Amino acid sequence: MGAPLELQDPELVTDEVVDEDRPWVVIVWNDPINLMSYVAYVFQKVFGYSKEKANKLMMDVHHKGRAVVSSGTRTEAERDVNRLHGHGLWATMEHDE
Amino acid sequence: MVRFRRPKPFEALADGTFRVRLTPDVRRFLVRLGDEIGEIVTLDIPETRRLFPTAYPNDPDKDAGYRILARDGLVDQRQTAADTLRATADNEILTEDELAQWMSVINDARLVLGTRLDVSEDDEPDLDDPDIGLYLIYDELGYLLDSIVKVMVTALPEPDDDDDPLNS
Repeated sequence: MGAPLELQDPELVTDEVVDEDRPWVVIVWNDPINLMSYVAYVFQKVFGYSKEKANKLMMDVHHKGRAVVSSGTRTEAERDVNRLHGHGLWATMEHDE
Repeated sequence: MVRFRRPKPFEALADGTFRVRLTPDVRRFLVRLGDEIGEIVTLDIPETRRLFPTAYPNDPDKDAGYRILARDGLVDQRQTAADTLRATADNEILTEDELAQWMSVINDARLVLGTRLDVSEDDEPDLDDPDIGLYLIYDELGYLLDSIVKVMVTALPEPDDDDDPLNS
């Protein structure tokens, strides 16, 4: 790991702290392999969404190429991305601009 | 005249378990699929890249960090699913957790096969295609996966409307 915080560039430290607190969004991308029924099921299973909401998100992914499926801190978003990867979905995360 | 139908391969039972109706050949084939996935999942080859996607497309450093942390868990998950499938391959009845792992093997097999075949959404291979055998397997796995999803949704708990991260 890097140098203790107090020895680091104050600007870098500030960026890191802000990084964690700014909201992150989790995006699922369309792919030609996953079944629509399966993707909708995964949204229900992982996020506890209703069937209607899961289907809407799945159709957004299918028609628009991508959809934001959740948001939160960096830790929360990474956890969601990891769970989605475990289910074989193509999920990424980025800052909510 | 006859109406084409096949017995449903998976059925949700009232007690929360699931009945499996598959021939021994199909069961053996699924075990082999699981074993192969369990083996190749440790290899960095094109077919397995789809099993370990990028998390931070805009930040190579964060992504490298994520991949290092995530890799073992994702490998382990796949190998455990293969073990579970092998252990329960001849079962008539599966628990929800066991069926979820069968589903994971089948979905991962589709991801690997689909990557290898370089499928697109509108793929319709003709019978002369040298890969037609793989396409038929890929297709059949899709049917099995869809059958599992249809019964797994019946086992989902009621949605948690108060706890919506997207707040809509």
